[in-house]
Parts: sequence; structure tokens; C-alpha cells
Amino acid sequence: MRSKRNLFNTDSIDKIRKKGEKWQRQVYPTEKQRQEVFKTLSGIPIEPIYTPLHLVEMDYLEDLGFPGEEPFVRGVHPTMYRGRTWTHRQLAGFGPPEETNKRYKFLLKQGAMGINGVFDYPTLRGYDSTDPEAYADVGRGGVAIDTVEDMRILFDGIPLDRVSSSLVTCQPIGNISVQSMYFANAQAQAVPFSELRGTSQNDFLMETAVAIAPEVFPPRASFKFSCDAIEYCTKHVPRWNPVSFAGYNYREAGCTAVQEVAFVLANAIACSEELIKRGLEVDRFAPRLSFFLSGHSDFFEEIAKYRAARRTWYKVMKERFGAKDPRSLALRFHVQTAGVALTAQQPLNNIARAAYHALSAVLGGAQSVHIDAYDEALCTPTELSSLTALRTQQVLQLETRVTHTIDPLGGSYFVESLTNQLEEKIVALLDDVEATGGIVKAVEKGWVHKEISSAAYEYQKAIESGEMQIVGVNCYKIEDEKLPVELFRVPETLEVQRAKLERIKKERHSKEVQKALDALLRCCEKDGNLMEVVVEGVKAHVTEGEITKVLKGYYGTWNPPLF
Amino acid sequence: MKKSVRVVMARLGLDAHWRGSIVVAHALRDAGMEVIYIGNQMPEEIVETAIEEDADVIGLSSLSGNHMILAPEVVRLLKERGMGETRVVLGGTVPPDDIPRLKEVGIAGVFGPGSSLKEIIQFISSAKVT
Repeated sequence: MRSKRNLFNTDSIDKIRKKGEKWQRQVYPTEKQRQEVFKTLSGIPIEPIYTPLHLVEMDYLEDLGFPGEEPFVRGVHPTMYRGRTWTHRQLAGFGPPEETNKRYKFLLKQGAMGINGVFDYPTLRGYDSTDPEAYADVGRGGVAIDTVEDMRILFDGIPLDRVSSSLVTCQPIGNISVQSMYFANAQAQAVPFSELRGTSQNDFLMETAVAIAPEVFPPRASFKFSCDAIEYCTKHVPRWNPVSFAGYNYREAGCTAVQEVAFVLANAIACSEELIKRGLEVDRFAPRLSFFLSGHSDFFEEIAKYRAARRTWYKVMKERFGAKDPRSLALRFHVQTAGVALTAQQPLNNIARAAYHALSAVLGGAQSVHIDAYDEALCTPTELSSLTALRTQQVLQLETRVTHTIDPLGGSYFVESLTNQLEEKIVALLDDVEATGGIVKAVEKGWVHKEISSAAYEYQKAIESGEMQIVGVNCYKIEDEKLPVELFRVPETLEVQRAKLERIKKERHSKEVQKALDALLRCCEKDGNLMEVVVEGVKAHVTEGEITKVLKGYYGTWNPPLF
Repeated sequence: MKKSVRVVMARLGLDAHWRGSIVVAHALRDAGMEVIYIGNQMPEEIVETAIEEDADVIGLSSLSGNHMILAPEVVRLLKERGMGETRVVLGGTVPPDDIPRLKEVGIAGVFGPGSSLKEIIQFISSAKVT
């Protein structure tokens, strides 16, 4: 191994140190500071000034390198936004698929570059719209999907071989059915699997540790569902990203920046180990592992976070798994601006907030971005708020010129120093997960739940004490504020879905349905890949709820530590 | 000695959002209340648990928009079971326009995004004066 080649020579460093110490002693204290200490949102102390002294150990080629090359800190592609800018991928989904299809088309017409489809709560958790637990949530938070027919309606008139689709199927149980319906619908439209481009979220922590509820699937089962989908896509749908480790949602649930990245990486490590155990070469599946991160309020910490995540992933893939394909070593990620940072008070302020969040994502080298709409703390976005969010992306891309050079903050003493510190903390937390027995064990033990809920409580206490200031919430409040926005109302969904389900159940061949459900149970029993049978099963118009019932019958349920 | 306030906390229906309810649960417990956190439940189970646990207050959380259907249902079932004096408090993304209707059907307090823990604690701890 070659020795480190430091950026600055010893003589310069000595001179800077002397001058710096003098400044810190004599010049800086002559004026008053606003606060005694300054910290990042995740609690890292921030110094008054950063200089080469913070980067004495840095070896440019080893620690930063060039874009598209190891260790990928400066970007995953050689040209980054000078070649292709990030994908503007705005979330959309509400009501029945007939309504969401119109919103998709509206956004595409207005310049959105891909679909980002979000599903209602029953769909995410594997229920049919007509299941008794579902009636109040049908069509809320996303679009309702029950059968492959709904998927056909959802993507009607959208060319599946040309538009890439991100399916926000966060829980593996919902993903199994929804992703299968997407694939089955593509086949029915004569679009070959090799042409399909897109992403499914498919993250087992979402089922067992983040959006926790009683009687969910046991962590082992949920983890298996997730890995089944990854394995299936690796073998049959080569351009599909079968998982998007959802750090964004961990963050929304309460994680700090460090926890967000450490937990996604721990999850990706566990999946990689499992897939290797199943006989796949690391370079066969790793290029399609993708990540979903949050764009939160601490501007520089977020930029450093994305850069640190890339370096940590590179080292994990290279050193732990021996990956060689550069696409395995490069961490690609989508960013959504932080919903938790939005306020219901003075909602138009959220336009400014989300723009800063998105700017940090772009300066951090994101591959695609969703900008939250200003009304999201109040309701599902209206057409106007969705359009404003999309236009914010376009302003950022076309007017600010931040795209003209790659990793413009690379070399900033502060950003590089923060990147190093975040990497250290992420690695330390990864070691803690490892010591707990890996991420699946850490979930089973309730360790992850405790980490997240404590962090969420600390965050709220900081707002409560006024240590963290939120404009419109604990400062610059307007009493008796009149809401300046029109609120979205979800269109009637349950009856639309019920009518379709009743018709489909009458028209489908019950023998084929039974055959598909039997095949699913047999697949469970022999521990086969469930996706292989579900993709076929949904073609017989088996419903999502029917699939879930078979899986619950076999794998049972688990009660996560709720509180 | 004054018995501490007993609060059953639940998330309505299938709503996936967890942070608000868990943070409030922590805060109520730190304020000396007894919190029984049952996660996602339908109104029947929530009321059943409240009866079993002899709850003074039911805290409901919803960010999915299901509150106009399920929160009034909790109140209705409570009355049906002769538990009309149990206070029902709702938190989450509740559009301000919905609040008058929720109050009308008997929701005692509604706490939207940005509410402070202090306000919530004060409101809930006043549920029991004996």
C-alpha cells in the first residue's frame, strides 16, 4: 500500500497553525458570539472556521478522487449534471387509479421526467380496499390498487418502455403484489422485461421498524420478501432497481443524519449477504441496489452526508464484498425533501424550505429528486402545489447554474471535514449494528425502534425548548392565521374499488385463482422465490389481499415493540 | 393520593405515520401519566382497550386523512358503551376546516402539526381532577 500523499506541505501547515492559533486567541474573541456552541442537526460541534488544518491527513486521490471513479465521493458519473441532470421525479398518488393516472399525465406533460407512484395505506400493507381494516384509508396517502386491472388503469396511455417508474412500495408485503402487477401489466402490453426501467422501495425496515403497527410480518419473513424481489429482478428484469433502501423514511420517523445512513447501509449489507448466500455474485445484483435519502434542514450536513454515504458504501462493497464493477461500488440515490421539516403554519414558507433542501441534494450529487409540495403538512398536494414543486426543480436546474461544475463544494475545508466526521460516525454505528447481530437481529430485539424513537423525542424537545427554531412554529408566529391555500380532498375511492373488485371476482376463473393461491402456498413451504409465483398469479386477477392472506397464514405475524 | 392520568394511545386505521404519536407518548409518560400505546387499531379495539384499561383519555393519531371517519366512530362507540366521559384527543395532520365538525361530534381537543408538547400535556393532564 502506498503511503498517504497529503495535500499540504508541512511548512505551510506549520505556518497556518501558528497564525490560526493566534487568530483564535486574539482576534476571534474580540467580538461576541450569538451562541455558546454551534452544532449540526445531528449534534456534531461546528467550529468558527475551517482551514487546511482540518484536512492535514487528507490524500486527494485516495479520499476524494474524480467523478465516476473510486471512491466516488465527488460523484457517481464522470460528467454528472454536465451530462444529464437529476431526474425530476415528483410523487403522485391518491384516490382510485383512474384519478392518479390523470395526475401522472399532467406532471409528465409539465416536464416531469419519470413517475413516482405512491400507494394508499391498505395497498402498502397488503390489504384489499374492501378488507374490514381498510375502509377509512382507501385512496388516502396514495392510489388504491387491488388487482392487475388497477395497474392497467394507473398506467393507461403511459409508455412503460420509455417512462421509468418508481413504485413507492415501501413495505415488502405490499411490494410483492404491486411490483408483480406492474410486471404482469407490462407483459400484457407486450413490453419485454428487458425494457422496463424503474425502482421499487421494498425495504423490510419499513414494515418492521419504521411504520410499525401490531401484527406485522416477522422481520425474517419481511426480509425474505425483500430479498426475493431483488433476486427475481436480478434474474429477469435487469434494468429495474428492486430495492431503494428508504433512509428517507427512517429520517422522517426520527433518525439523525448519521442513523439514516448507517441503517440503510446495514440493511444493504444484510441483503447483500443473503443474496450471496443464495448463490448470486455480488457484481450481478449490487449495481441495482439503490438508496433513498432525505434532504433535511441542515444544509451543509446534508451535503456532507451524501458524500460520506458514497465513500462508506464504496469501502463496504470493495473491502467486505470484494465487488469490482464500478456500478456496485457507486452509491446512487434519490432524495425527497424532508416532509417532517414542513410546517402547517404559513404553508407558503415551505416553498423556500423545500428549495433549500433540494439544493443540498443537488450539491450532494443526487440522481433524482422529489420536492415536497407546500401544503403537505395539511393535505395531499393539490395540482397547483405539485406544479409549484416541479417548477422549483426546473428553476434550480435551469436558472441557478449550480449544475455547471461537478461537486462544487468538494475541497471546502468545512464540507470535507464534515464529510470525514460523518463517515466516522456512520462507521461506528454500523459497528454497533454488527455487534447487535446485524440489522435483522437488531430489529427483532427492538434495538432499532429504540434508537429511532429516542432520536425523535430529542428532536421535538429541542423545538420545545426553543434551541431549534422553526419559523412560524416557535418564532415569527402569526396568531389566528388564515390559511392561504386551497386544501385537497381525496375523491371517492372505496365505492369505485368495490365495484371493480366485485366485477372482477365475478368474471375471473375461480379455478385459476385457486391454482395460483395453491402454488403460492407450496412456494412458501419449499422456501422458493415468492415473486416467481406471484407475477404469474396476479395475471389470473388474484387480489393483493388474497396473496397477503396466504402469506400471513404461513409466516404468521409479529408484534414489534411499540413503545 | 391523586391517581395518575391513564391514556390509551392509538393510531387510527392503517395510517403508517408513527413519529407524532410516539413522541407524545414519551412526553406524557415523562409528565407522570400512564400511557398504554397500542399502535394501529380500528375504533372497536381502541374502545375495548380503553374500557379494559380504565382509561381517562384516549389519544388518537392520524396523518392519513382518515380522521373524519374513524375519530367520530371512537366517540360514538364510547357513548354506546357508557364511557361518554372518557376524553378523546386527536393529533396529526388535521386540516383546520375539519376542527369545528370534530369538536361538534365530541372530540375534546385537536392538536395539529406544530403543536407543542407542553400544550398537549396541559390539556390531557386536566382530564382528571379528582
